Amino acid sequence: MAYPYVSDREVRIVSKFFGDPEARTLAGARKRGRYEALEKALAMDPDDVVQVVKSSGLRGRGGAGFPTGVKWSFMPKNRDSPHYLCCNADESEPGTFKDRELMRWDPHQLIEGCLIAAHAIRAEHAYIYCRGEFFEASAVLAEALEDAYEAGLVGKDILGTGVEIDVTVHIGAGAYICGEETGLMNSLEGRRGQPRVKPPFPAAAGVFGMPTTINNVETLCSVPSIITNGGEWYRQWGTEKSPGTKLFCVSGHVRKPGNYELPLSFPLMELIEDVCGGVRDGHELKAVIPGGSSVPILSAAECLECCLDYEGVAEAGSMLGCASVIVMDETADIVKQVRRMASFYAHESCGQCTPCREGSAWVTRILQRIEDGRGTEEDLDTLIEVTTQMTGTTICVLSDSVAAPVQSSIEKFRDEYLALIRRGERMGVA
Amino acid sequence: MTPPDRTGSATERVPFENPGWAGNTGEFDLTEDQVRGADFVGTRALEGGHPAASASHAYMLEEKDPAAPLFEGPYRERFEKILSRYPEKRPALLPVLNLAQELRGHLSPETMGAVAELLELDPAYVRGVATFYTMYNKRPVGRYLVQVCTNISCSLCGADDVLKAFLKHTGTELGETSGDGLFTTIEAECLAACGFATCAQINSRYFESLAAADVPAVIERLKREASVEGEDG
Amino acid sequence: MTAGDGQTRETVTLTVDGQVVTVPKGTTLLDAAGHLGTRVPHYCYHPGLTSPAMCRLCLVEIEGAPKLVPSCKTVAQDGQVVLTGSEKAETMRRGVLEFYLVNHPLDCPICDQSGECKLQDYVHAEGRPHGRSREPKRVFGRDDFGADVLFYGDRCVMCTRCVRFMNEVEQDPRLAVVERGSRSVIDTFFDEGLEGTAFSGNIVDICPVGALVSKDFLHKQRAWDLDHTPSICPNCSQGCNIELHTRDNLVQRLKPRANLDVNQYWMCDYGRGRYEWINRADRVDVPLVRSEGRSKAMGWGEALGALLEQLRDVTEKGTTVKAVASPFASNEDLSAFAALVTQLGGSEIVYRSPQADDEAVLKGFPRLVRRRDLAPNRTGAELLEMTRIGDDHGEGGLEGFARHDGVILVLGAPLADQDSTFGSDAALYVYVGAHPVSAMGSAHFVLPQTTFAEQEGTFVNHEGRVQRFWPALQAPGAARPAWLVLETLLGELTGGTAPARAEEAFQRLAERSPAFAGLSYRDLGTTGALVNEPARLVGD
Repeated sequence: MAYPYVSDREVRIVSKFFGDPEARTLAGARKRGRYEALEKALAMDPDDVVQVVKSSGLRGRGGAGFPTGVKWSFMPKNRDSPHYLCCNADESEPGTFKDRELMRWDPHQLIEGCLIAAHAIRAEHAYIYCRGEFFEASAVLAEALEDAYEAGLVGKDILGTGVEIDVTVHIGAGAYICGEETGLMNSLEGRRGQPRVKPPFPAAAGVFGMPTTINNVETLCSVPSIITNGGEWYRQWGTEKSPGTKLFCVSGHVRKPGNYELPLSFPLMELIEDVCGGVRDGHELKAVIPGGSSVPILSAAECLECCLDYEGVAEAGSMLGCASVIVMDETADIVKQVRRMASFYAHESCGQCTPCREGSAWVTRILQRIEDGRGTEEDLDTLIEVTTQMTGTTICVLSDSVAAPVQSSIEKFRDEYLALIRRGERMGVA
Repeated sequence: MTPPDRTGSATERVPFENPGWAGNTGEFDLTEDQVRGADFVGTRALEGGHPAASASHAYMLEEKDPAAPLFEGPYRERFEKILSRYPEKRPALLPVLNLAQELRGHLSPETMGAVAELLELDPAYVRGVATFYTMYNKRPVGRYLVQVCTNISCSLCGADDVLKAFLKHTGTELGETSGDGLFTTIEAECLAACGFATCAQINSRYFESLAAADVPAVIERLKREASVEGEDG
Repeated sequence: MTAGDGQTRETVTLTVDGQVVTVPKGTTLLDAAGHLGTRVPHYCYHPGLTSPAMCRLCLVEIEGAPKLVPSCKTVAQDGQVVLTGSEKAETMRRGVLEFYLVNHPLDCPICDQSGECKLQDYVHAEGRPHGRSREPKRVFGRDDFGADVLFYGDRCVMCTRCVRFMNEVEQDPRLAVVERGSRSVIDTFFDEGLEGTAFSGNIVDICPVGALVSKDFLHKQRAWDLDHTPSICPNCSQGCNIELHTRDNLVQRLKPRANLDVNQYWMCDYGRGRYEWINRADRVDVPLVRSEGRSKAMGWGEALGALLEQLRDVTEKGTTVKAVASPFASNEDLSAFAALVTQLGGSEIVYRSPQADDEAVLKGFPRLVRRRDLAPNRTGAELLEMTRIGDDHGEGGLEGFARHDGVILVLGAPLADQDSTFGSDAALYVYVGAHPVSAMGSAHFVLPQTTFAEQEGTFVNHEGRVQRFWPALQAPGAARPAWLVLETLLGELTGGTAPARAEEAFQRLAERSPAFAGLSYRDLGTTGALVNEPARLVGD
């Protein structure tokens, strides 16, 4: 089974039960092997669990790609103060829709992953921070969590081991910036979701001032299989630096958009053409954003040799990010889409840092003016310089994210901007 | 069954039957309730169920009562359960604001002040937090709040046309409530349904794979639901 | 590094802009640069508040580090090489300043902050000569926050100092940032405003731009026209260090001056708002001598000459002396008065003093309290062994004085509850004061004195701290400091010399009074010093 499409190129580890409604039920989940890894992990020492995940080379699947085992090892090895695990289910990066599917098709995998991670970092409470819009997904997760509590899989004395871990589903209220780990912590604490200055780092002082680890949904969902099969097993896919499989979210102008779990380093063109059925009939590839709106846009030519892993995409001139592949054919209006992405950042900026607060709105207004046919060529230089001024000067990297689409599109699709500026002509319709 | 092309422009598209949910790829059959998980979830206990799940209720409902007490009966129980999950009162602020909006439909100054008092927080602070988040309605909205995603993935697949269609068929401007009090349409940022472009969130439900041609049917469906509930209630 | 108490403190040594500096461990880079006299531009940082590092103006370069760091929050480490003015740092600052100006209105011609505005200063020093933004600016408009505060939202640079002051220092969280991103603005809880706050005037001081302005000061004066004189707030016994800002020989506003022991960086709204009385135009400005039922204006020489004759006369006769002083008078004035009264054979000096029925504590710095004692120098009077009489309005208790037939000496007390018959039976009634009052109607001699704003002197605050103030205004007419007049009389009576300067007058005081023994103006400096054995002080 698959949801919504099947491809035989997929290696389905975390997405195995997409499209399988029985997997949500506790009985169905257990029949499918859920909570066996938990039993194994609880019998291990927390540091050994960390070691297994470290050896797998699993990297954070939320966009930053930081090695998960290493992140867990930053936590204090004692229980002098309460530790917390936060599951980042605030999926808001444009182009990304994998965590929602993971939550609504296989909630027990996520719960199990949270429990194993909490055990590894010596946490007694895990908060799953769901974005507010995920009503349906969080309801499924909540129902599954209730079943798990009832069955003694969460809470006190899990599976009779004496380990106590509580899980709480916490709901946000609509803010992309709460997907930033320190913004998430502030939001969890009932504050405005504004990112914090680091240091201090979450492992030293996080939620409620206590040592905290924040992990993405897909990262935590990857953990049970790694515990069951071992770190080496995970390394059979991908590359040395980017091992394992990844859920690629493909959207835009392809015939079969959706989530596809593929080994890392999968070639981008094969993803588009083979797995997703290619660009729509009669259309040609123009551009691809390989990792969500915060990464530079790749031109069609740059996609040809691009392999989808952290290093490969960097070599091609962009970033893997959360592996949200947005495909654009020749009908795409690059200027409009860049303006739309800039206005997204302006809308979502928390407003703390002046370069981001003022810069994102300013960039959006310039792009809108260009789109309306009232731009000048000087505006393009201004855009480059202003977005450069916004890079590396703020508390979080939302500001830097504005630069990626703007600068890469001006560099690679300058003719589209010039067409609007010189002749008021749009070069796309979508 | 050949999968309908969901990425064409509004004029090329063949409208889905029962538009608004994304199970129709032709690769397999699932009912809407199976895809949404509605049959698994069933009806959620008003008093919150297990405390671990007590915060995760839908808070954008069709029925709103701006004078609903904060909090009585099962909602009071749910409020206490939410509080029990955090070491202090402040972290419960977002879930409690969600609960207040679930009952009242929007957060007026009075509501913010009442929540501040309940959680022993300062009113100006609560205002600062409530206005930070997009999903808190600061003023009353229609029975159905239609939030159409116009971000890049949906935008590439005709989201602007879908938005215009909603505005046209409800007879409203952006952000305005229709005369019959039923619909308010606004733009939304990425709803994490990019593979099922265009997606619109209507109250607590996602309506996916929408094209402009689907909009009248969606509106009809909602109007039918509204009149049915009106008859019952 | 060994501190004065003999304890070694850990230090770090680093290089800032090519200069080596050693600072205590835990010092931020901003403060380390400050030790060398380099002022790193900043908005959100303030020494009296926590630092969110969000204005992004104080970023400096550390050699070897990939990104610029906020110097207000980054702690200095051994061996760091810090560059506050490198090309990277300057480019960054120019960029950040440009962002501040994108939406900032060109209000300088109508903005009160002009001339003391940190945005003007920084942009003038390091900003781009031309802004590149061609887009319409966002508009928030003007909002009356209540109390004395007006908010011009368009000018706000979102440093959030005001929010943090109300949260952390006044601990009455009335302000919050509402909305998000470029729509964010400072506001109160809807109409609640700042009514009922006691210290909100400070947010006008710490606002780096003209977003928060004083309603009292609105469009009143230009900052560059004002003279600043260090002084002490005369409105209660806390003794907040302030500045009198003056122009045209009038006090235009009061501002706090930093004193980490007394008032940190703050002052209360009660004190801040009470300066109009210093500008009163109705003054006693010439010596008045009463003869044959009429008051005659005279020069000092003639007036004092006549007075001395009378004083020698009553001393010979041993006439009873009753004396009333004022807790608004300086130590020098009070000391001279006490010495003269003693010389004339008097013993007790009384004073009346207004008291509030509550106090207002600044919770975040509880040493700062708007005290119940609503006069600046009650402690000085007490240390000089004067006795308080009367009620909390500063009235009553003078029953024995009004019809006294001996000598009545009054220093600076307004005697508001007395009428023109006061002292009409006195053998000799001398009124030394600044403002005309009914009760001086029967005085034989009315001698014009300066207010505290027109003379150099000291007050003692509630905890026994002696603090100096300096003259900011020119005294009207022939008004002179009371200590000068009284010490001159004393000198004539005793055959000694009168002090010519306030510093010398203070020396006399130190010689006379054990509480002040050993102190001098030099010891007091600009932040004051405690009297000897302050623990023995009478409480409020």
